[in-house]
Amino acid sequence: MQVERIKFERTGGFAGMRIATDLKLDDLSDENASQITELLDDLDFGELPAQMTDKSGHDQFTYVITVETKKWEHTVVTGESAAPEKMRELLQLLNRLARTQKKQ
Amino acid sequence: MHKHSLVHCFVPPHILKNIATKGTESQKNLAIDTLKISAQMRGQRQALADFTAATFRVAMGGKDRVIYDAKFGSNLPGTVVRKEGDGSSADVAVNEAYDGSGVTYDLFNDIYQRNSIDGNGMRLDSTVHYRQGYDNAFWDGEQMVYGDGDEDLPANERLFNRFTAALDVIGHELTHGVTQFEAKLIYAQQPGALNESMSDVFGSLVKQYKLRQTASEADWIIGQGLLTANVNGVGIRSMKAPGTAYDDPVLGKDPQPAHMKDYVTTIADNGGVHINSGIPNHAFYVTALELGGYAWEKAGQIWYVTLKDKLDANSKFQECAEMTYRTAGELFGAGSIEQQAVQKGWSAVGLTVGAGGPGPDPQPGGCLEALLRLIGAAPAAKR
Repeated sequence: MQVERIKFERTGGFAGMRIATDLKLDDLSDENASQITELLDDLDFGELPAQMTDKSGHDQFTYVITVETKKWEHTVVTGESAAPEKMRELLQLLNRLARTQKKQ
Repeated sequence: MHKHSLVHCFVPPHILKNIATKGTESQKNLAIDTLKISAQMRGQRQALADFTAATFRVAMGGKDRVIYDAKFGSNLPGTVVRKEGDGSSADVAVNEAYDGSGVTYDLFNDIYQRNSIDGNGMRLDSTVHYRQGYDNAFWDGEQMVYGDGDEDLPANERLFNRFTAALDVIGHELTHGVTQFEAKLIYAQQPGALNESMSDVFGSLVKQYKLRQTASEADWIIGQGLLTANVNGVGIRSMKAPGTAYDDPVLGKDPQPAHMKDYVTTIADNGGVHINSGIPNHAFYVTALELGGYAWEKAGQIWYVTLKDKLDANSKFQECAEMTYRTAGELFGAGSIEQQAVQKGWSAVGLTVGAGGPGPDPQPGGCLEALLRLIGAAPAAKR
């Protein structure tokens, strides 16, 4: 898929802190942009259900990810334990980028 | 009993439950672990939760802790690394989880006569070293889980230390378990913020109990020591001054309000459960400071009885305020300094209780009857 933009938000957790970023892939390094694209392809992100919220845990994170391509836009809200294992790497990468972006 | 038979031979759950309640100590532990694994394999989290109460009421002897190591993976509970009575580990996180859950057990048992999370000796399971770079701790409905913060980042980029480092975090997570067995406050909006606040209140009291600090000596910081030196902050939340725990270029500013006029309406964080908890947190702080002495003795008792006997899944701030006020009247008498302190606590955050009277519906018998109820010599009265 030709991803143009990805928005990421993490809320909740014990600390209740909000971490968010809004990334245009053209502005990212080639390495980060290609990694994000690969991870989204691997997840078949456009086909994921919009809500994957698991309410079973206390102090767990909630994630909101919005992906924009030339053809479509899709938002997924997921609880931590409901997120597919394959999504972990993407969440970690976006979390790291969110912190880095905020520092700049 | 052959050790492998439970795991590999698919003993029917009803038999496992019998073993879990009637077997020897080692049989009980093995049966519980097998039930948990098999329920997880079948994806039956709800089914597991349904029989949790009955199944885990097995350690009637008292404090029973088991610490597991997830070895930076995500499989729960992980490998057993320390059990009740074992000597110290070389792993500091293991010892912190063990000692912290022990102090939490002691506070609830010694002060509130509550035998573990469920009131009936439930085993306290904790997993450390959960995932890599996991800056969080949580209660999953069955056990405590702790990450190591930003251990995977270079030292100059780390924001969080390991989550077992703060004793009040451990008390906080275990209190989620207590709430799960008592008021069952839903985890959203005001009931969710009360759920969070109860965990902060008793998490802080666990730390104060360990340090034998009075209300005026305590720092009332939640998560002191969790933030690294790279962060401009003293902890995650402040019960004394909500909204002032941190103000940092990366983490932003502590968003907690201390008053109803600043209540935050949001869909994030399950309706701001970690944000608006600042309001009832501050009410408790003001009440405790007003009373002086050890906060776990009077203020803690009032809040504990309220959580146990007065609140329900949908309780909101005003109801909690009224119920703590009523409980103070029942425990210490209508118009007592304790009841007045509760009134001042809630007034400080913009909530009015007991206006123009000695308190809503104080029960006859007052202190004596309440004490009898506490020790089980009189029937418990839900409201």
